[in-house]
Amino acid sequence: MHEILFALPMAIVAIGAFVLMIVSPSKKIKLGTINLIALLFLTLSFVVNYFTFNNNTPHFLFANIFRNSFIIDDFAHIFDLIFSAGAILTLLINNNYLKNRKYFNGEYFALVLLSVFGMMMLSHAHELLTVFIALEIASISIYALVGYHKNKRASQEAMMKYLVLGSLNGLFFMLGTAMIYGAVGSTSLTDISIYTHAHNIQDMKLLMVGASFLMVTILFKIGAVPFHSWVIDVYHGAPYPVTMFMASTFKIAIFAITLRLYLVDFYSVNSFWTQMLQAITIMTLIGGSWIAINQKLIKRMLAGSSIVHSGYLLIALSSIGLNSELAAPALMFYLIVYFISAVGAFGILSFIASDSKYQMSYEDFKGFADTRPYMALMMSIFMLSLAGFPSTIGFLGKFYIFTSAIESGQILLAGLGILIAFISVYYYFKLIAMMYFYKSDQERKRFPITRSTILIAIMALIVIWGGIGTTLIPFIPGADGFIEIAKGAINSLS
Amino acid sequence: MSHLLTSIIFLPLLTAILLGTFRAPIKLLKLGAAFSSLGTIVLVIFLLLHFNPHQGMQFVQNSPWIYNSGISYIVGVDYLSLVILSLITLLIPLLYLYMYKENRKGYWYNMMLLQTGVTGAVLSLDMILFYLFWETMLLPIFIMIGKYGNGMKQYNSMKILLMTILGSMSMLFSILYIGYVYFDIHGVWSFALTDLTTLSFNAKTSIWLASGFLLAFAIKIPLVGFHTWMAPAYGSAPTPAVVILSSIMAKLGIYGIWRFGFSLFDATLAYYTSTIIVLALIGLLYYAIRAVTEDNLRKMFAYSSGSHLSLIALGIFVTNIYAWGGALYLIAAHALASAGIFILIGLTYKRFATVNISELGGIASVAPKFAFFFAFFSLSIAGLPGTGGFISELLIIIGAFKSNFWIGVFTATTMLAAMTYIFWMLQRTLFSQANNACFEIEDLNTREILILLPLTLLILLMGIAPSLFTPLVEPGLSRALENILTQIGGL
Repeated sequence: MHEILFALPMAIVAIGAFVLMIVSPSKKIKLGTINLIALLFLTLSFVVNYFTFNNNTPHFLFANIFRNSFIIDDFAHIFDLIFSAGAILTLLINNNYLKNRKYFNGEYFALVLLSVFGMMMLSHAHELLTVFIALEIASISIYALVGYHKNKRASQEAMMKYLVLGSLNGLFFMLGTAMIYGAVGSTSLTDISIYTHAHNIQDMKLLMVGASFLMVTILFKIGAVPFHSWVIDVYHGAPYPVTMFMASTFKIAIFAITLRLYLVDFYSVNSFWTQMLQAITIMTLIGGSWIAINQKLIKRMLAGSSIVHSGYLLIALSSIGLNSELAAPALMFYLIVYFISAVGAFGILSFIASDSKYQMSYEDFKGFADTRPYMALMMSIFMLSLAGFPSTIGFLGKFYIFTSAIESGQILLAGLGILIAFISVYYYFKLIAMMYFYKSDQERKRFPITRSTILIAIMALIVIWGGIGTTLIPFIPGADGFIEIAKGAINSLS
Repeated sequence: MSHLLTSIIFLPLLTAILLGTFRAPIKLLKLGAAFSSLGTIVLVIFLLLHFNPHQGMQFVQNSPWIYNSGISYIVGVDYLSLVILSLITLLIPLLYLYMYKENRKGYWYNMMLLQTGVTGAVLSLDMILFYLFWETMLLPIFIMIGKYGNGMKQYNSMKILLMTILGSMSMLFSILYIGYVYFDIHGVWSFALTDLTTLSFNAKTSIWLASGFLLAFAIKIPLVGFHTWMAPAYGSAPTPAVVILSSIMAKLGIYGIWRFGFSLFDATLAYYTSTIIVLALIGLLYYAIRAVTEDNLRKMFAYSSGSHLSLIALGIFVTNIYAWGGALYLIAAHALASAGIFILIGLTYKRFATVNISELGGIASVAPKFAFFFAFFSLSIAGLPGTGGFISELLIIIGAFKSNFWIGVFTATTMLAAMTYIFWMLQRTLFSQANNACFEIEDLNTREILILLPLTLLILLMGIAPSLFTPLVEPGLSRALENILTQIGGL
């Protein structure tokens, strides 16, 4: 009976996706109602997840049926919470966008729920084939979402690009899995872990090649240079809500499985990839910055900067390989940080885009602080956080990443990271400059109090409180609260 | 008592947040700003009365903040921070008086945020807390130059932002590294200055780490070579921002070296001493020459300010009591004088709509009060006997001679250059043939005199009766110097 409780969050989302698929063709049900149903399922999942989450000892879900395909631990639970929160925020914040764009219909919500289901499966997966299936469920839903604007060329192009490259990439994953199976005789992470611990690295060349193929898949999905060619166009072509969902939530899902693979079953051999990862990190940081600097559209700039953020996360990943104790919690914390900041930034962008015809370039933001002072303030807060400015949660994120890099002895990489953070100040502050430094000829607009704006304001407050908040004030967890969560999640892995 | 410094730091910010939340109308906003600035004055006077010059750090508040990484909220005040704190507290209300007619709300909010930023930076004793305030004080300056400035304001504000952040990022790297070293040895995190000063590094690491800090401070001061942001930023910034930039923020660069540089890397700074003294000497001469050739008054005094800050930097690296005393004295004297002169330049701009020397002339004949104050502040910057500037420059020169004859000679001769540009400028603006633009302009009104009078009196008092001020700082100063000298064994 207790087991069902653990399976519920995933099950609720899956059932929700099917229910929505069934009701969505009906002409009688309005889009708003469908949105509400989707939110209901997601919230239910979130709540169940929240209450089953308290320092469980890791165990396999329905071990007699699924064998050891799914694991239940705090690590997966926290990711589940993030995924459902991400989807809830995506649906709520983009309410206006959905209303003002005619091309959205019921399937959109079904696809979002389905991809959340895939991601949840991914965070629980403890078996390479399950990982593959989960990854594909999530990815295929995202492919469909990216191409959701059927009459827009850019959207279609983005979908094709992502679909073709993503599928090719899926093949790499399969190939890697096959090789690992060839070496170990099993695809279970437990068996692989036992195998890697028992053997010398020279004796498992086949496994290492296979595992490297898995790494390629992961690097592709997080948009690391040189596997980044799709990122800008796909982020640009996708509708704003989808971009937001991809950038904030889907990217974190990939790191969920990366961390599990890296910390659990390839733990004894993960120093093997350190040099490769360092090279890729350097390329990602520099390449991403180069891309982000040269963009005119805010959406594309944020896409470029999301590559840079992958680079920061990769710094932590290579630090893990060099036996840094701080690195894994740092990575986890940074994921939370990036999630909050990116949801906020894309949320505002989508909110503004929802009732304007503009392309949302830097130029379009001229005088924004005059017409919408509060929006401009919140946007600045998210930009500051993404830039890692102190007094925001983004600073603490970078603080941990860089200290972990120093701890692992990668002084130069930490130095490069700080240099890249400096460069990122330019493209984030350019937006702030555009908003504040120019006068607008339009009248000042009232701050619209809607679901979207209230949520965005809450996210902005979290960004600030997460940076300066102290746990000394009772009942409100401050910056330390987030760090404790990150540490707890990592501890439950081993 | 233990929350006194915290109240001084956060009173302006809290006022701003309170007013902002309730969308206060402009009149209430001005009232709030006045309240916060006068409130901090009262608190600082209280602090001055209870300050014991024979003790080190006082009014220390130490509370855990982000305990997971050993970041604490530590503030405290000693002779050094007291000087700059008093300057901030004095200047801000005068600037509010100057901005009296300003009706753009953002201006006032930025000023309050700025006050919290600079006060926090001067009082914090935890490296991460210091870094937080160090960066935060940049934001209002960035917005004020870019939004309310003139000329190529967007470009110039981006320039000052990027250059300053480059410096602070390099400092951040050093801070993180030092913090990690502490963690490695003690097993717990701490960024408190008192903890970090116990560490010692090998020579090579130490030089690298010190350079991270020095880059940040050199850009802020700015030493020559790191100065390209200075003239454009001063030229574009609105008057209150310029005053804060030259009177307070530039001094914070010096303060940083003094507080963090000397306590963290005592021995290593000896390695950099010759470099910085040479840079300072070049700066003295270079900035003076630039000031002579500059036509824009704001930029001219920007260079002059750079020249004086080079002198202060020279003073603190010539480690003897004369030079140190002179440097500390000059921090205060120059802050007051440059605040006065930049306020007057702001008033010039309001009257003539230009600050170019070539377009001004004959002011003395039409606006005698204006001309008097203008001449007074200019001359006190040049170090006229009877003003605070004279005593401090004299002390630094004596200190320079004591340490090395040639440093003394160079310092003394380059001081003459300051006379050149100040007198030539005064002659052209105040006394030459009056231009058409200069007829029919108002003289200073009572409010404007009220702004300048406290500064004037203080400068005179500092020049005539230095013994009023020295007891407050002298014990702390000599003790700090003794510490340094035992560490590095003199220059």
